[in-house]
Amino acid sequence: MLKKLAYAFGTLALLVGAWGFYDRFAHGHENADYGSYVVWGLWVAMYLFFAGTAAGGFMIATLDHLFHLPLFKGVGRLALWGALVSLGAGLFSIWLDLGHLERVWKVYLQGNPGSVMFQMVWGYTLFGLIIAVSLFLAIKKPDSPWLRVLMGLGLGVALFVSGAVGALLGVNAARPFWHVGLFPVQFPVFSLASGAAMLLLILGLFAPRDDPQREQQLWVLGLLSVALLVVKLYFMWADYSQSIYGGIPMNVDAVNQVLFGKYWWAFWILQILIGSLIPLIVLVQPKLARHNGWAGWMGLLLLAGYAVARGLIIFPGLSVPELEQLTSSFGGPHLTFDYFPSLMEWAVTLGTIGLAVLGFLLGTEYLPLYAKELEA
Amino acid sequence: MEEVEETAGLLQKYASQVFAGLVAPALEGVQAVRATIEDVLAKEDVLLRMQEDLKRALEKPAAERRWVMVIDLRRCIGCHACTIACVAENNLPPGVVYRPVLSEEFGTYPNVTMRFLPRPCMQCDNPPCVPVCPVYATYKNEEGVVVVEYDQCIGCRYCITACPYAARTFDFGLTYLDETPEGDDLVLGRSRADEYERVGAFEYGELRRRKDRKTSPVGNVRKCHFCLHRLAEGMLPACVTTCIGRATYFGDANDPESLVADLIASPNVMRLKEDLGTEPRVYYLM
Repeated sequence: MLKKLAYAFGTLALLVGAWGFYDRFAHGHENADYGSYVVWGLWVAMYLFFAGTAAGGFMIATLDHLFHLPLFKGVGRLALWGALVSLGAGLFSIWLDLGHLERVWKVYLQGNPGSVMFQMVWGYTLFGLIIAVSLFLAIKKPDSPWLRVLMGLGLGVALFVSGAVGALLGVNAARPFWHVGLFPVQFPVFSLASGAAMLLLILGLFAPRDDPQREQQLWVLGLLSVALLVVKLYFMWADYSQSIYGGIPMNVDAVNQVLFGKYWWAFWILQILIGSLIPLIVLVQPKLARHNGWAGWMGLLLLAGYAVARGLIIFPGLSVPELEQLTSSFGGPHLTFDYFPSLMEWAVTLGTIGLAVLGFLLGTEYLPLYAKELEA
Repeated sequence: MEEVEETAGLLQKYASQVFAGLVAPALEGVQAVRATIEDVLAKEDVLLRMQEDLKRALEKPAAERRWVMVIDLRRCIGCHACTIACVAENNLPPGVVYRPVLSEEFGTYPNVTMRFLPRPCMQCDNPPCVPVCPVYATYKNEEGVVVVEYDQCIGCRYCITACPYAARTFDFGLTYLDETPEGDDLVLGRSRADEYERVGAFEYGELRRRKDRKTSPVGNVRKCHFCLHRLAEGMLPACVTTCIGRATYFGDANDPESLVADLIASPNVMRLKEDLGTEPRVYYLM
């Protein structure tokens, strides 16, 4: 039943997304609401979210294929497939964000290795290849020593690429809200947190329920999610409190926008209440956390909270003027510090999510991702 | 009281001589008097002086020039003529601006005044926008001007996030006549009336027509380039020649005879956000 619902959601999302894709390809960025001041919008936030989830999913997969933990035996292939689909969605999202998407090859052949963005593009390309080959080996030759080598290499690359996302923002000295030395350390933690949440969702709602280890897997993943959530909240508290105490106006303005300004509802309602507190309360209760449905839905709420959190890193960092009076001095389309994604941006994002959902479901239909299928 | 007056008189008489005696050796060989902009203006229009400076600079190899811009905030009247001249010169579409004049009103009525801050690209010597570009599309050319290679730029906009001065904007492909009606045979409609918007500009010395909504510079990041195409033809940047307050000066700072070399040696000169270490080439006189 849930699978049918997921198929229906994915199809509907893709249909809505089709209009967004058409608009994006036919009219470029004209109908986007990001501009020259808030230059990165929903698609960049979703890229950070999907790519981070992919890195986290891979990290979870190493519990099976690298560290050979008996509890997670058979979970690795699902995690790898989830990571591959998520990475695809992330790269698709950021590709659509480019002004000249036909020139993406230049990053490979005429790139600047000193740019963090270059390093990320190369890193994610390598990461995608590693996931794909690892998944192939995990299905076809699960006993191959190469699988373990690849998983070990992939773990390093996953840490590197998720750290690079932090560095992508952190190197910007012009934006104190992003210029946090620990960003490259924080982001791998965020990635692992979203990876654990993704596995909660997959195992809770879509995996066969006859695995005798399932309850224990959900309980451990739930506890891991709670621990990572608390660490993430602590990082956020540290960043926000230091920003406010530090008193640098650009920094304080950005934090205020999140806590009390135009993004308050996204922060307090979506990220904190729905994406953090509810999952936290449910997942610390052993009975609920071991329940497929509860665990799965909490995984979804956690993922939604992490997606919102990505937006709340990107948008406020760009919504504070570098120089006062910029907007009042010269007006025009796309010259504003107020950003809310346009319908086209939402549609494209919905379409990307639809593609990811359908892609994942089709994979579970046609690939031997579950332990028993492989044994058969 | 008398004693105090005597001491004061003594100090007045000798203190300046003592000070001069201390300082004079250090000043030996140094030209003590620098021309203020008022001095220069009293003799000739600064545009003529800058034109001469430019002529001399262009005779040198490009790598030996150091283009700088100096903006006298006391002379800026906030007319925005420079902004408009720049828009016209570079045929900028809606949403793209190279040189806004930031205007701030402060004080309380009736004691209210305004101050203005023209903000071109700072052409930083240590530009944060350059190292972040993943494809070397933006760099400092040999004259020290930060340029964008439109056909190389992928439109990721990372450079915009890195610029502390918001000096870069993205070309979304809009035209001023968007959403105006298409005309019939008798009326000049959008697709004919907006022809002037498609003429293009000579940025970087190359005529680029805006033939559609996809071809560069649409989808690219754009910025002030000190009107390199005009400099190449011996003309000052459009914002300089248009400034009715004679508040914007331009020239080669490597030429000790140039006006800008004089001006940036003034004690009342400052640069924006110097603490970031960007080393801007735009100086402001306060």
